[in-house]
Amino acid sequence: MIRAVAVAAFASFFNLLCAAQSGASANETITVVTSFPEELTTRCEREFERGHPQIHVQFVWKQSRDALVELAKPGQGGADVYWAPAPANFALLRDRGAFRKISVDRAALPGRLGAQQLSDPAGLYEAYDVAGYGVVSNPSALAAAGLSAPRRWRDLASPEYARQLAMPIASKVGFSPALYDIVLQSEGWDAGWRLLSEIAGEATLLDSGFAPTASVREGKAALALTIDFFAEIARANGAAVEMIYPERRAFLPAHVAMTAGSEHVAAAQAFIDFLLSTDGQRLMMERDSRRHPARPDAYQSASKGFANPFALPASTLLDYDSEIGRRRPPLITLLFDLAIVEGHAESAELWRTIHDAEKKFAGNAKGMAPLGEAKRLAGFIPVSESDAGTRTFLDRFARRDAIDAQQIARWREEIGAARRQARDLVKGLEPAP
Amino acid sequence: MKRFGVLLCAVLLSGAARYETSGSDTEAFTRPIDGLDGEHAASFRKGSGIFRQAWVIGPSQDHPDFVGLGPFYNRLSCIACHVKNGRGAAPDSENGVARTMAARLSVEGKDAHGGPRVHPDYGAQLNPEGVPGVAGEGQAVVDYAEFDVALSDGAIVRLRRPTLAFRNLAYGPLGPETKTSLRNAPPVFGLGLLESVAEAEILAGAGRPNFVFSVETGQRTLGRFGLKANQPNLKQQIANAFVEDIGITSSLFPAESCAPSHSECRRGASTPELTDAQLDAVVSYIRALAPPARRNLDDPRVKDGEILFREIGCSDCHRDALHVADFPLQPALNGVEIHPYTDLLLHDMGDGLADGREDFEAGPRDWRTPPLWGLGLAGKGGDGADFLHDGRARTPAEAILWHGGEAKPSADAFRNLPEPQRDALLAFLNSL
Repeated sequence: MIRAVAVAAFASFFNLLCAAQSGASANETITVVTSFPEELTTRCEREFERGHPQIHVQFVWKQSRDALVELAKPGQGGADVYWAPAPANFALLRDRGAFRKISVDRAALPGRLGAQQLSDPAGLYEAYDVAGYGVVSNPSALAAAGLSAPRRWRDLASPEYARQLAMPIASKVGFSPALYDIVLQSEGWDAGWRLLSEIAGEATLLDSGFAPTASVREGKAALALTIDFFAEIARANGAAVEMIYPERRAFLPAHVAMTAGSEHVAAAQAFIDFLLSTDGQRLMMERDSRRHPARPDAYQSASKGFANPFALPASTLLDYDSEIGRRRPPLITLLFDLAIVEGHAESAELWRTIHDAEKKFAGNAKGMAPLGEAKRLAGFIPVSESDAGTRTFLDRFARRDAIDAQQIARWREEIGAARRQARDLVKGLEPAP
Repeated sequence: MKRFGVLLCAVLLSGAARYETSGSDTEAFTRPIDGLDGEHAASFRKGSGIFRQAWVIGPSQDHPDFVGLGPFYNRLSCIACHVKNGRGAAPDSENGVARTMAARLSVEGKDAHGGPRVHPDYGAQLNPEGVPGVAGEGQAVVDYAEFDVALSDGAIVRLRRPTLAFRNLAYGPLGPETKTSLRNAPPVFGLGLLESVAEAEILAGAGRPNFVFSVETGQRTLGRFGLKANQPNLKQQIANAFVEDIGITSSLFPAESCAPSHSECRRGASTPELTDAQLDAVVSYIRALAPPARRNLDDPRVKDGEILFREIGCSDCHRDALHVADFPLQPALNGVEIHPYTDLLLHDMGDGLADGREDFEAGPRDWRTPPLWGLGLAGKGGDGADFLHDGRARTPAEAILWHGGEAKPSADAFRNLPEPQRDALLAFLNSL
């Protein structure tokens, strides 16, 4: 706090000094709020400034919540451009009037992927890239274990992948709420949570974004759930990993927008134009970024094997509901902690018991019958699909500090009770014939 | 070759861990020394994350542990300049902006500890960026004048002489008496091994030591790190870089890196922005980064080049063997011979490379012999492949031809080598 005051006073003093000197500078500085990694921002800064030596780009690094705070300040914190993989922020800020309309070449930038709207229809923000979600694998490790590569999300629940899989913790890894929402939208709310619980049962849970890919690269896991660029970066740098996109792929966009309060409109537009140009879009495909451009013609220089989402048949794409998707992450994060992270060892034992029983009773319809119910209970989630698709319900979880603690306690108890019932059901099974 | 065979046998017989990493891919500079125990491996991973983390202006809900950027800074993270843990890149040819370099600044005289007396209005280093509301100090820009050097067999090598200038200075002119030194970000692998070399072994070398101020002990101490050997150990080197380059204070450097005239700014943070635990993790990370193993050892040109390297005197300063004295991260390496090709000492490199700026006991023409291990992989991972302290040399041959002062006889000998021998010497350097 002392430092904050000191810096504020210092800033105030030098504002006066700089105002007095501003006429002496021929340069113009634009401030870009971003959460993209420095490997990418630095490349973009360098290439942009080469072509626009009169403009200096200054990055202010802010992840989602901090960016919202920054852009809500008077004068939007001096920001001219917001450029980030944070779809919910862009929609929210648009609704608050935080952006100025930008012009783009719609012939080159479709703003859509199949039926999915990527960019703001009113032109207040534009898709910069799309990221895919799926499974990073080590083909050699899979082959050594006699395993085939999964093709669908539900394949991952197969007991043969048990103890071979790693997955990120939703509350620790920024991309993972969207990853899990893709599973939920693909498989359905209840079935999706059941599937996630079963997959997670004997999986290793990881707390950083690069950890899933690192665990596969280092041979600690054969498979891991991830956003694709971590896997693609590893592959481009020589790691023996492959990215698998389950059937019905989903790609979610990052965006760029100009702030309503920008005092450097022409320079900000020039930077945005550069980011969305063919040359600017190619930068994200370089070895240490490996993201998918939102501009189809940029893929002409893509390396072999690099997925082009715009070349995929529409039928292979998930019809992702981004309006629901942007509101669900806080709820998914909470439920993931309650249903998957808490009591993980206990859950792992339960799923192991269920899988053992399934093996014992294979072909025995009477013996198998209670197991379906046991699986439902083991993967129980105390929120209905209807609530999980309702805006007013979802918005109750938008602020972490405003979530009703008593409700969390009730949900925790309901999940625990369901698990106890599942355990009792499995224990009560007749001995295998 | 015999030496490597002996080393290999010693390693195998003792069960000692390798000190080099065998991969020569784009991640060659990012791997730890083999055999770290669980605690050190965890610290390595934590330090790696901090090294890559972009620091933010506080307060932060998303990154409360990485708050405190600025008020002045060069870049947001360590990795932005030490690209892929290797060198920074030379300035853009189009606009000359030095992005991965620091322009050190001082005026005549010494500070209370014998180091350079920092500039009254700009501090020890030009910081191009300021947090919102604080103007960045300005930009260091480099212009190159190219010229040709003829070798004895008529071959021509084009060199480029940099001229450093400053633009958009926000806090007044630097003044004619200001001393400047442009310094490219150096590679950060293998440094833990260099830190472990016994002082007596370093002092037995042919160069001159730089004795500098240890912030932690308050003592005059042998300098090992920094382009003029102006830092005594990795902890101080790293903490100093955090405060000078990113504006992140620590228990070692509790005051913000602001100019003496900016007293309000210098008052600094009430608590260190980089915690001791974070600093320790980054130190552990850097200490454990392994140098890459040599390649193409059986190539006859490489073998010939290694002999020439000694014959023309390169190894007088670029010592080909030092020894690990005490390496707590991996005690199995204690006593192992390493091949960094440095003596960690100062040498007069002549007027052509002189920055005209003293740094503790380093003179205006002095530079510390830089390690050459990993040289052949420079630029392979997206890191810079520009050599010498300011990145002026685009190839090892250019770097050799810039050598003057004490190193002039070696540079002259290189000029006079027939082309096949020059190529052999360069093949050897490329094998490092």
